Amino acid sequence: MPSIRDTLQRWLRRPAPQGPAPDVEALRLAFQARYHQFKLLLNANNKALELMSEIEAALSGTQAFGMTFVRSRLTRISTSVFAVVRHMNELAPGGYGALFERFKAIQHEINPHVRIRETVAQGPLVIPLGEVRPDMADQVGAKMANLAEICRRVELAPPEGFVVTAAGFARFMTHSDLQTEIARLLQTADIQEPDELYALSARIQQLIVQAEVPGDLVRAMTEACQALSGEDARPPTLAVRSSALGEDEPGTSFAGQYRSELNVNPEHLLQAYKTVVASKYGVTAMSYRLTRGIREEDVAMCVGCMRMIEARSAGVLYTRSPLDARNDDLTINAAWGLPKSVVDGSVASDLFVVRRGPPLAIGERQVRDKQRKFVCYPDEGVCRLDTVAEERLQPSLNDDQILALARVGLAIDAIYAAAQDIEWAIDARDRLHLLQCRPLPQTPPAGESSGPAGNTAAAPLVASGGQTASAGVAAGPVYVVRKDADALGFPSGAVLVAAQALPRWAPMLSRAAAVVTEQGSIAGHLANVAREFEVPAIVGLEGAVERLGGQAAVTVDAGSRSVYAGRIETLLGPGAKPRNLMAGSPVYAALRQAAEQVIPLTLLDPDSPNFTPENCRTFHDLTRFCHEKAVHEMFRFGKDHAFPERSSKQLHAEVPMQWWVLNLDDGLAQETEGPYAHLDNIVSIPMRALWEGITAYPWEGPPPVDGRGMMAVMFQATANRSLVPTVRTRFANRNYFMISRHYCSLQSRLGFHFCTVEALVSERRTENYASFRFKGGAADLARRIQRVAFVGALLEPYGFQVALREDALAARIEQYDQPVMCDALRLLGYLIIHTRQLDMIMAAPNSVAFYRRKLEDQIARLLTVIKPSPLPAPFSGDAP
Amino acid sequence: MDALKALIVDDEADFLETLIKRMKKRRLDVTGVTGAGQALALLAAEPFDVVVLDVRMPEMDGITLLQQIKERYALTEVIMLTGHASMEVAVRGMELGAFDYLMKPVDIDELIYKLQDAYQKRLLQQQKIKEIESLKGGQ
Repeated sequence: MPSIRDTLQRWLRRPAPQGPAPDVEALRLAFQARYHQFKLLLNANNKALELMSEIEAALSGTQAFGMTFVRSRLTRISTSVFAVVRHMNELAPGGYGALFERFKAIQHEINPHVRIRETVAQGPLVIPLGEVRPDMADQVGAKMANLAEICRRVELAPPEGFVVTAAGFARFMTHSDLQTEIARLLQTADIQEPDELYALSARIQQLIVQAEVPGDLVRAMTEACQALSGEDARPPTLAVRSSALGEDEPGTSFAGQYRSELNVNPEHLLQAYKTVVASKYGVTAMSYRLTRGIREEDVAMCVGCMRMIEARSAGVLYTRSPLDARNDDLTINAAWGLPKSVVDGSVASDLFVVRRGPPLAIGERQVRDKQRKFVCYPDEGVCRLDTVAEERLQPSLNDDQILALARVGLAIDAIYAAAQDIEWAIDARDRLHLLQCRPLPQTPPAGESSGPAGNTAAAPLVASGGQTASAGVAAGPVYVVRKDADALGFPSGAVLVAAQALPRWAPMLSRAAAVVTEQGSIAGHLANVAREFEVPAIVGLEGAVERLGGQAAVTVDAGSRSVYAGRIETLLGPGAKPRNLMAGSPVYAALRQAAEQVIPLTLLDPDSPNFTPENCRTFHDLTRFCHEKAVHEMFRFGKDHAFPERSSKQLHAEVPMQWWVLNLDDGLAQETEGPYAHLDNIVSIPMRALWEGITAYPWEGPPPVDGRGMMAVMFQATANRSLVPTVRTRFANRNYFMISRHYCSLQSRLGFHFCTVEALVSERRTENYASFRFKGGAADLARRIQRVAFVGALLEPYGFQVALREDALAARIEQYDQPVMCDALRLLGYLIIHTRQLDMIMAAPNSVAFYRRKLEDQIARLLTVIKPSPLPAPFSGDAP
Repeated sequence: MDALKALIVDDEADFLETLIKRMKKRRLDVTGVTGAGQALALLAAEPFDVVVLDVRMPEMDGITLLQQIKERYALTEVIMLTGHASMEVAVRGMELGAFDYLMKPVDIDELIYKLQDAYQKRLLQQQKIKEIESLKGGQ
């Protein structure tokens, strides 16, 4: 048997240093500088991996994100990957220059998906409505383009007015660099947090309202106003309405998210214009864009300025049912005065249902008590009046008006061959005016889930009535919203209960289980959004606040317009998966396409000749390559320099062990020149924890297996001797620790499997991590695969994220405090030793169960802080 | 690490004030200025180990300032800290020798770690230069 001396001499035999003896101090410094580079590389690499998993989570989950998220993550990851590449080049100058070229090439591929596109808004700043043609939707917004076109087609009086175009908007937003400042504000806030979203929205809107309108735009608007003047040369008051690009696209319902300013005196047109523009950053609109994956920069706010119609009665006409695609009745919601009360759901409105026929016939009428109405002041603004007694209970439309309106609706429906949502008004001279017209999204007929199918006989009914605004059944705790501040605390999964169906409650719908309101109609904005988000909703349910307010939790069956106390499981049925509204959106597509250059790992095998800088195709390849090479470079540097302090030493724990230690920086309490690194002298925090796990329990040798003789021979060959002192093992079987005080990397080959552990553990919690790779074995592939699954299942309950790929396992744990990280390393050390050759018994379920119990038992006694949880533990603290 | 001396340049006065206050509570020697001109004047008067720069500033943009600092004081490390999420600008900054490119909102501990790392890099570089000079002197 060769002596230790022989082994060591062979190990230490290396070329003698050239020239004069190296200055020890200089070498020590060189080591230190390299280790610092190495540590920075590890940090940057870790950051990049973290960002990759954030991007993956965003792509797979139902969490909404905006372009701000996309841009900030890709900017951060580019920085991290660049840093990795730079540190690699500083670590080993000259060898890795090609990495920079690859980085540039990959970045070039990502760029088009994240670059802020300059809006090429051309053409006039203002266009009179009379000159608007259907193909001008990208200049004036679909809403204004449609309205002008429809009035022409159905031969109604065309709306008088003009549109401040997308070019006008761009002119305004670039004047005084408004757009850049807004992008900066968006970047620095976390709009997933409701209170931050509200604060940010207020700040941006204020910024816009206070901004200066450039002179040429002011002139264009003033001239357009003058052109509207009647005989008395006084320009009329105006309705100033949003007509944003993309606002009326099929499948999206921006309805009511933006402001309309009614009855504006032309003197105050600029202020009204800015207010409408600012509403692009209203809370409702911002959270809507976020949940639907719409890019900020795609929404140019065109603004229509139209002569104000003094309506006697007004409302909303649906040419088909929004709830049931098979129902082609027309529905009219109408009220006295301006249509505002119908749209914002604040006042009860009359409902008329018209059957298509032929002949056209009024099928149903529900005339409500219309206590209030909105009317125009003579000079400016609108006011809410109490309706005079005899008007209150009178229908707000007579039969002739209902039928005339229905006929116009049918004509428009026919033109578009699709359901339409039309806002209309009838003036004092009985003339019909169209105010807005947009496609009406129809939900497919709801499954007949409610009613007889669900057994509700025993269920305690809390309230019933009102109208189904969005069908479906859902349960949750009751949350009554009375004022804006209540919206901040709205808990996810609650049932939103409110008196009025106000548009400003819409941001809560992405988190609400169901909605119940006392006022409002199915034509209101809140109802539109409820349908879009598939949130069951009942509107117009009298006494809802009082009756539901006293309940802890309720089940809302919107289809049968009933609310029950508690959770009624028979009604709820199997929970439907929440719909991912992001999928297919422009923002989602941008992240997905950019991620293709970032996430995939194509460089898998470090031993392959293809493992070169030139073959790095993604950011992940770059980080993987650099990490591998950096560890290699650090190891080689220690080996190549005849510097006794920093050459590898044999670990000495009472006796010399078959484990070697390479001190990278400050892993030893005292520098020693001898061949051994004594365990007492090792101050590497992660290594000590790992070693505690390795030595915690004696290994009892390979598991007993009833195998064929061949297998028995294999065991003989592999019975591992690496823990037995002073027995010579092959070079390839060496186990190396590379250490510093806070760092440890272990490469080990025990028996037939190969594993690496790498950890950084310090007081910087956010930089802490431990990673574990494990591969191979002596058994056939199927059993090796079973073993990594077995090991993975042991790790996951302790907070590790585990990825399996054939017989390879990769596990990570990060950002925990030092005590937790040390426990995690004890666990890894333990598993390295005690899962050896367990691949052999993987085919025998009894043995597997036996070993699992035994291992779990020992692990539980080994760890001091972490307790296993059935689910992966969340990151502590403020991790994303 | 206590000797670390940092300069923070940001035109957003509120942000700057809060940041300086928080860092001083952590016993760091930091000075804040709101413009590039002030920053260059101060750097000419006294040495700083690390400079933290905003990318977008009215007077002179951060990238130009970074370039000037790196030209005049090669050993001074520069960290970009910005609300401006642009991949191109970030990479440009890194290529010009920025130590890192951080984005607002930044975790204060994270920023301090970066300051310490940048400072250590500077120290190691200084020692190396001293070493080379002493070798030259010895010959």
